[in-house]
Amino acid sequence: MQRSIHSTAAMIAAVSVISIYWGAFPATASAAGDAPVADPAAKVDYSGKLTILTKFGLQLLSPYFVNVAKAYEAQHPGVKIELIQENDDSIKGKTKTLVASNSLPDIYFSWTGTWGENFIRGNRAVDLSKVIGPETEWGKTLSPAAVKAFSYNGKYFGVPLYLDAKFMGYNKKMFADLGIEPPKDFDALLKACDALKDSGVVPIAIGNKESWPLVHYLGQLLAYNVPTETLERDFNPKTATFDHPGYVAALEQYRSLQERCAGGAQVNGLSYQTALQSMSDKKAAMYYQEIIEFDQAATKETALKPEEFGFFKLPAPSDGKGSATALEGAPEGYMVNAKAKNVPLAIDFLKFLTSQENGRTLSAPPYGQPSAVIGGADKTRINPNVAEGMEEIAKASYLMPWLDTVNHPRVAAAWLSGLQAFAGGSMSADDLLASVRKAAAAAARQ
Amino acid sequence: MASVTTTPTSNGAALSGAVSNRSRWLRHGLLQQLAALRWGIVALIIVGWFVYYPIVDNLFVSTTTQDIFTGEVAYVGLDNYRRLLDDPVVWRALTNNGLYAVLSVVFQVFAAFVLAAIIEGLRSRAWRNFWRAVYFIPSAISTTVTGLLFYFIYQPDIGLLDALLHLLGLQNLSYTWLGDERTAIYAIIAMSQWQGFGYSTLLFTIAIQKIPRELYDAATVDGAGPLRQLFCITFPLTREMTGMMIIVTIAGAFQVFNEVMVMTGGGPNNSSQVLGTWLYEQGFNQNDMGYAAAIGVVIFLATLTTGLLQLWYTKRRRVEA
Repeated sequence: MQRSIHSTAAMIAAVSVISIYWGAFPATASAAGDAPVADPAAKVDYSGKLTILTKFGLQLLSPYFVNVAKAYEAQHPGVKIELIQENDDSIKGKTKTLVASNSLPDIYFSWTGTWGENFIRGNRAVDLSKVIGPETEWGKTLSPAAVKAFSYNGKYFGVPLYLDAKFMGYNKKMFADLGIEPPKDFDALLKACDALKDSGVVPIAIGNKESWPLVHYLGQLLAYNVPTETLERDFNPKTATFDHPGYVAALEQYRSLQERCAGGAQVNGLSYQTALQSMSDKKAAMYYQEIIEFDQAATKETALKPEEFGFFKLPAPSDGKGSATALEGAPEGYMVNAKAKNVPLAIDFLKFLTSQENGRTLSAPPYGQPSAVIGGADKTRINPNVAEGMEEIAKASYLMPWLDTVNHPRVAAAWLSGLQAFAGGSMSADDLLASVRKAAAAAARQ
Repeated sequence: MASVTTTPTSNGAALSGAVSNRSRWLRHGLLQQLAALRWGIVALIIVGWFVYYPIVDNLFVSTTTQDIFTGEVAYVGLDNYRRLLDDPVVWRALTNNGLYAVLSVVFQVFAAFVLAAIIEGLRSRAWRNFWRAVYFIPSAISTTVTGLLFYFIYQPDIGLLDALLHLLGLQNLSYTWLGDERTAIYAIIAMSQWQGFGYSTLLFTIAIQKIPRELYDAATVDGAGPLRQLFCITFPLTREMTGMMIIVTIAGAFQVFNEVMVMTGGGPNNSSQVLGTWLYEQGFNQNDMGYAAAIGVVIFLATLTTGLLQLWYTKRRRVEA
């Protein structure tokens, strides 16, 4: 009996080996072929199911897509919308799992940069050039810079939903009580931190458990310290050198900021959300945050009231070799799956999503996501800080992309883990850059 | 004459009856085997598809590089395994898995055994039930929830642990437990022991309950104290359970994933990576499925070894019995 069990096991293993031998390599062609091109004249068939992967899984944001989906279903009773709502951290793993299993929904969230480029390389996104390009009717309703951010090799693949950028949020009352003005340069920021620390509050709450928050600090400091063309050259592993002295300067600036403004090496033990909560609870005076979080940091329910909340750009150092008017940020948006059964319906939904009315709802509290729709922010309805932030974005000479989505995944991983080590004191700036260079060299060989 | 022919006829009938019985028996046996095979074949297909196929497929994937976005696959032979040997994070992850195994055996096997013996030594049945329940409750909570709970407990300044240290005047011991490369993995392992300890204790109490009371009564009459009874009666008679628990605990230590993912995500600076989280990082964050598959093979070999040890141990105990 035991022998027969062994024979059966051997037989199954043999069958598996043969089937894999036949099956493994043809799988290489799974995503082959050109991406379909959206036809502006295509007739929309308002029937069937539309699946959408969003990045609005957070409790505060999730009702937005639910309400838009309900409104669309009410207009088109034959359509059923199924939402998969993830948050900022979970969407990366979820998306890659869906890609690996060829189960991407009809519409899915995407960042710009390398992240979005991955879908285009794999022919997994519909070419939307003819429906959303800058000269099209729909394209003209959206911020040109935001539309351009989703262009690759002269073609347009994404629908920008909102604009995002990083600013330093601060407690106006705490600053006023100590007679501190919003700092205009990096040294003034450090001096403000000293004064705040002396008064017994945490100057800046930093939480880096997730490892990407420090990448955001560094991204803005790199934009100030390294010339833009050098940065863009270094985003590509094949041309990257990471040898500009601005890299070390930016890292040292971050080091002094962490030592004088935050809780030293303990930043790695706090999560991003816990740190945000410290500012909302008035335990910290400042918090470096995205504009899309302004309406979360200060609400009617939090200790920090909306009228007490202010913001400024992370101040630039006086001797930076990069651009002092650059701002870290990028639009975020959605792509249409190249294998969607009803591409015209998916595009029609995205047009509905980016209508003036939906744009205004998105920009206003409680969502506070600055819509990419031109005129999609009614100043009487939105948080004045969000309105002001949108003007800052418009004024920026260069939008510095997020380091963890613009770089090759290996290089991004080297930045992420290296910065945790740098913040914890176990790695020097030179060692960190050496590990980034090593990762870029390995990525270039792939 | 007629009488002469009767005997062979009768012998022949007996023979043909025996043959007929034998063929009926054989046919019956064959039918039974076919019925068993019919039922078994479904299970075999399921096991083949969900167990054997992925294992063999993973071996193939580990000899390739794959881009999940384009679906491109390139054969690279043993390159991923060579990279494994040069990857310092893999060695750190293996060390962390090993630490997990050693500390889990100390706490979830030996300490749990001592605790079970103490609980079973209580005279009051109500107290025995109470303490069993107290220690078992953490095991009923999901690992993800426990991980989040301990993440808040360990938080610097505002966490329960720091608050307790301040209350006891031990603020000097206050520390960024999960944020420091030197302590992160130990903080996670401590949480894991808190959660798994009660379950092991419960299993040991069941094993101890099976020991006849007469042995303890006789030992007491002979003048043996509680410690002597523990080492001379309880420990030898629960040896089978202890052996099984060691093997299961070691195998579990190589499959750790949730607690690390929730509490640190493998950080800071990959200091708390275990093989499972490093596999996930490579496959799903760095888009390197071939290398992730090679890490999967290492996990498979580790769990296969402990699995074979478990089989060998069970078989040996059965023969001894």
